[in-house]
Amino acid sequence: MIELFGVSKHFANETAVDGISLQIKRGELCVLVGTSGCGKSTTLRMINRLIEHDAGEIHLDGQPVRSFNEVALRRRIGYVIQSTGLFPHWTVARNIGLVPRLLKWPKAQISERVEALMQLLGLPLAEFADKYPHQLSGGQAQRVGVARALAADPDILLMDEPFAALDPLTRQGLQREMIELHARLNKTIVFVTHDMDEALTLADRLVVMDQGRIVQQGTPVELLREPATPFVESLLGGLDRGLKEAALIQVKERMLPFGPRLLASERIAETAPLSQALSVMLWHQVERLTVVDAEDIPVGELSLRRLLGVTAA
Amino acid sequence: MVKPLQGPNWVLLSLILLGVVAWLWLPVISLAPNRIVPGTPYTAFAVSEGGLFLALTSMLTMLMLGVAWLAWRATRKETWLALGTVVVLLALLPLWLAAAAAELAEPDLPQARITLGAAFWLLWFVLLLALIELRTRLGLSRPMGWLLLLPMMACWGLALWLWLEPLALLREYQARSEQFADALIIHLALVGAAVAASLILAIVGVLAMRRCSGLQRPGFAVLNFLQTIPSLALFGLLLAPLAWLGSQVAWLGALGVSGIGWAPAFLALLGYSLLPMVRNLHVALGAVDPAVIEAARGMGMSRRQVLLQARLPLALPVVVEGLRITTIQAIGLTAVAALIGAGGLGTFIFQGLGQAAMDMVLLGALPIIVLALVTDALFGTLSEWLRPGGEL
Repeated sequence: MIELFGVSKHFANETAVDGISLQIKRGELCVLVGTSGCGKSTTLRMINRLIEHDAGEIHLDGQPVRSFNEVALRRRIGYVIQSTGLFPHWTVARNIGLVPRLLKWPKAQISERVEALMQLLGLPLAEFADKYPHQLSGGQAQRVGVARALAADPDILLMDEPFAALDPLTRQGLQREMIELHARLNKTIVFVTHDMDEALTLADRLVVMDQGRIVQQGTPVELLREPATPFVESLLGGLDRGLKEAALIQVKERMLPFGPRLLASERIAETAPLSQALSVMLWHQVERLTVVDAEDIPVGELSLRRLLGVTAA
Repeated sequence: MVKPLQGPNWVLLSLILLGVVAWLWLPVISLAPNRIVPGTPYTAFAVSEGGLFLALTSMLTMLMLGVAWLAWRATRKETWLALGTVVVLLALLPLWLAAAAAELAEPDLPQARITLGAAFWLLWFVLLLALIELRTRLGLSRPMGWLLLLPMMACWGLALWLWLEPLALLREYQARSEQFADALIIHLALVGAAVAASLILAIVGVLAMRRCSGLQRPGFAVLNFLQTIPSLALFGLLLAPLAWLGSQVAWLGALGVSGIGWAPAFLALLGYSLLPMVRNLHVALGAVDPAVIEAARGMGMSRRQVLLQARLPLALPVVVEGLRITTIQAIGLTAVAALIGAGGLGTFIFQGLGQAAMDMVLLGALPIIVLALVTDALFGTLSEWLRPGGEL
């Protein structure tokens, strides 16, 4: 658990972070989102003490971060940055094994761990272990960055706009993997981004920041339904909010399990988001879709009325 | 990158034609009856009428014209052939010289000496340039280029050892072989000591500057100022204080510290070496990608570990580059140090100038050039090899 109590940070005459309080529960994926310069990165870097806070307290599992040795503290916390920061003079395997080596794990255990992580992140050992960072694509390099952060099995992962420099396709792929990884590993993740779509996709809880303060926090749906200020509303996309919300709801939540009816002409997967179902309806100009499971077997039906959530009979 | 091998290779063609012109019309060697009298110059074909010698000279000429023809065609196969021919030409040159020396030898003039003429130097230079051009064009590695020089060096060794006694340069060397060995050792010792000391001082200085940025401006100001003083003037400036130190402090005097000799030479060399060394080290450490340092700290590396495992290895190629520049500069400057009695290869240059004996000047100058080239090659290869993922 990470807790911030009235934390502030000043640089010269500027206030970067202004008395924020925040609680991030164990196993939660918390996304800090806001425009650049809102203090989200500073907040992140104060947690692993790359920046020291001026006022307030930051606690890790009930203990103030100042009470830890800073180097030991950082070895317990995974850290991923936008430009990866891989060591260009080390191979992929050596980069991933960095923290375990700092912690003086036995050699055999390190190589075992590196192997497991490369498998976890879809980097075939034979192909990538001996490559140098400059031989990797952006997406591959960031996978290595994530693997490196996970190497010593930290409870907490701090991620500073890790996917911002990648092309949209690679970014979406990595976001999906991130969600799976989080579900599997159950780490506490603090994720900083300026991309609201990314924030909505990933977050268990969203924290919107502006000018060093927290403007609003809650689940993505809560924020979409009730934005606290016009700023949050515009950040969430104004009139596009409906589509953004629809992107968070799966088809199976709204579908009607199969009754004795004819199959519709078009199909949609039960795990697809509502926004996609709407798009299919618009494209084919139909009001009815057959919902199929992963094996392409029909399991239900989605009508436009049900999609819209109109509950009348 | 390997250039596409198409169309005439104009670089090679003009180089080799320049060589041919020099070879046919400029004096290749000259012969003097003794050290004082100026020599008689000879072009290549004027050296002798002997059939065998003429055949050898014609063969060299044909080979050069052959290279010109291959340069005109310049497909990949022709370029390889041209490289082979240039290597052979470089190896034949000393052998031709030996043959020419034998042809010109006269029993009644045992003191006669042969001096290399403009054409010989020019041809040699042109052939070496051609070798470099062909090596880059074929995309061969640096060490491979050095291997290509082996036949030439072997032939020079053979010729100098067995047949080239009348070569003026060799006569000068034989008259002073012990002196030469001493001078070479002193030269290398001065360079080595000055570069090593400047490296240590630069490391200390740069680390201090990085900790306390207020030191940067005055530090560089002093070093820049030092660099602007002409070397001779600096030797002069050091003369008085060092002489005083040597006479006042007994143990320093016993060490040989005085106004002239090794002490002022070492100090001046150190002063000149500091600026390039400090500047390269400073730039190298500062130029490391900040994201790498950020990640290194974020992963939990201590200050020391960041310096030793990330900053230094990443800066090393640039540091070696600095070491290369500094060493080459010091090799050249040490020649001037001979003027204040520090010894070294410069001694021969200044003595030779005083006696108007150009061959003695060469005895000092040639090894200095060779030292500089070898240093350049060694450090250049090292720095290439140290680059991330770099291989020889």
